[in-house]
Amino acid sequence: MLPLARHEMKHLHDLTIKKFHEGLLNRAFSALEMTENFFKWIESNDKKINAYLHLNKEEAYLQAEKTDIALVKGEKMHLLGGVPLAIKDNILITEQPVTAGSKILENYRASYDATVIRKLKSANAVFLGKTNMDEFAMGSSTENSAFKITKNPHDLTLVPGGSSGGSAAAVSSHMAVAALGSDTGGSIRQPADFCNVVGLKPTYGAVSRYGLIAMASSLDQIGPITKTVEDSAILFGAISGHDSYDATSADVIYGDELINPKLERIKEMTIGLPKEYFIDGLEKDIKEKIDEVIKSLKTLKIKFKNISLPHTNSAVSCYYIIMPAEVSSNLSRFDGIRYSQLVESDKLAKNLKELYIKNKSLGFGAEVKRRIILGTFVLSSGYYDAYYSKAQKVRTLIKKDFDEAFKEVDVILTPVSPTKPFKIGERADDPMAMYLSDIFTIPANLAGLPAISIPPGFQLIGKPWREADILGIGQFYERINK
Amino acid sequence: MPGIINKATLKHLSSLARIELNAKETNKFLKDFAKIIEHFSELEKIDTDKIEPIIGGTNLKNILREDDVDFDKRARSVNDSGRIIRAFPNSERGYLKIPPVFDAPAGSP
Repeated sequence: MLPLARHEMKHLHDLTIKKFHEGLLNRAFSALEMTENFFKWIESNDKKINAYLHLNKEEAYLQAEKTDIALVKGEKMHLLGGVPLAIKDNILITEQPVTAGSKILENYRASYDATVIRKLKSANAVFLGKTNMDEFAMGSSTENSAFKITKNPHDLTLVPGGSSGGSAAAVSSHMAVAALGSDTGGSIRQPADFCNVVGLKPTYGAVSRYGLIAMASSLDQIGPITKTVEDSAILFGAISGHDSYDATSADVIYGDELINPKLERIKEMTIGLPKEYFIDGLEKDIKEKIDEVIKSLKTLKIKFKNISLPHTNSAVSCYYIIMPAEVSSNLSRFDGIRYSQLVESDKLAKNLKELYIKNKSLGFGAEVKRRIILGTFVLSSGYYDAYYSKAQKVRTLIKKDFDEAFKEVDVILTPVSPTKPFKIGERADDPMAMYLSDIFTIPANLAGLPAISIPPGFQLIGKPWREADILGIGQFYERINK
Repeated sequence: MPGIINKATLKHLSSLARIELNAKETNKFLKDFAKIIEHFSELEKIDTDKIEPIIGGTNLKNILREDDVDFDKRARSVNDSGRIIRAFPNSERGYLKIPPVFDAPAGSP
């Protein structure tokens, strides 16, 4: 690798994790000056995008300096050493604000580091700040944030997708080299798709959820949003692994194959194309781009096969029963007391119940209230069997569809979203229309499978614990299309 | 499917959730829920007679750890309780201070 000249590195849009690392090692720049450059760019550019909720300058500079000192000392540098990252605002960093996009947590500061943050700190990564999101990760457009509406960097009249819209917009507009998001029903993959970057939702249990503000615990996963598939592999490698603080964290070790995929293995693979995902409602432009992707992957000698996942159409209903049920339970802890004070209603409330009601009614936005109440409904006596129990059984059927399909194919390819990014405000008043935009991303969450969204708009779904397969195909796709 | 959410049900559900809805929210939610629950009716058609529900996460095996006291100690040192207490609006000797759980009986000091 030739050393990069200093002038080449002024352009933040050239930077990937890999290039940043090479630039550091070749002394093309220091971590500190790059961090300064990013903050300068954020300060001028984010006025129109609104990707960040809080910046974390002081600690970012300290972390960058630590990297530069380690370099001078000749210490071994992790691939993420000094790399400026954006973190979704539902992931805890000690002493930093963490709002989950909600007014009820407006004054809250985290009391500990999420496991993913602890891991990234030990790799010496730099956290630039926390990114905007739909309140408690509920939404597909980042319009549900209590604080601001994030714009799509490619067209400011469009939504960036959601709920990790701030993270996707930050990476896409070069206000971070890479970012972390969280995905419960598509919240990493759909905004990554809308902003034309890469987003990976890992297998359920691959990444610790300790320190992630819970939305729906049987579905949530933290994952990377990056400019390239290779970067997603690097970031995923760094944050995955068993954690005794998360009882659902699995004891799986991911090896070198994440970042060094072997073409001999990829060539042997068969990709399934599920007919239920190539429906009439799919925009023509998206379909055409996917046909191009398939053509390109065929040049790698990958085989394709038509398959069926018969219960796909029930996924949205199934998800919008199970998720609100878990939401209603998880969000009961936000009372406007324990995690910082919401309003000075303390003296006005006659008793504790009244204080709860005041705080929750003021502190939660409409979508959060809607889901808490819907969840309370599907769990309530008399309706439990008809809704919650039924949905859990349908979830089994959805998972079985995938189990069957994976007997015949290694990986499944689908679109990420049935439509291209929509206009800000277009679906804001129609929750059902908003919910249906998750139709292609929800099934992977319900079945706990790894899935990646890659420009120009395709999703690869892998077998459990086989992130290496989807990342591998993705990396070879990237190499032949650069 | 049996469910509809009418005004009375909505009032009951929101009180269970400790949320108070104003008139505008009530009207909007009644309309939204009607649409959402109607969509759920598609699940009725699916035969789930002999199907076991998935409970919790998927693809996971139990990972048990030794029940050792030090683990909890380590957890506590990670979760610096001082930071948690500092976030309380009001505290005394490390405990969270809140308004009374029950109304004070009439005539009490």
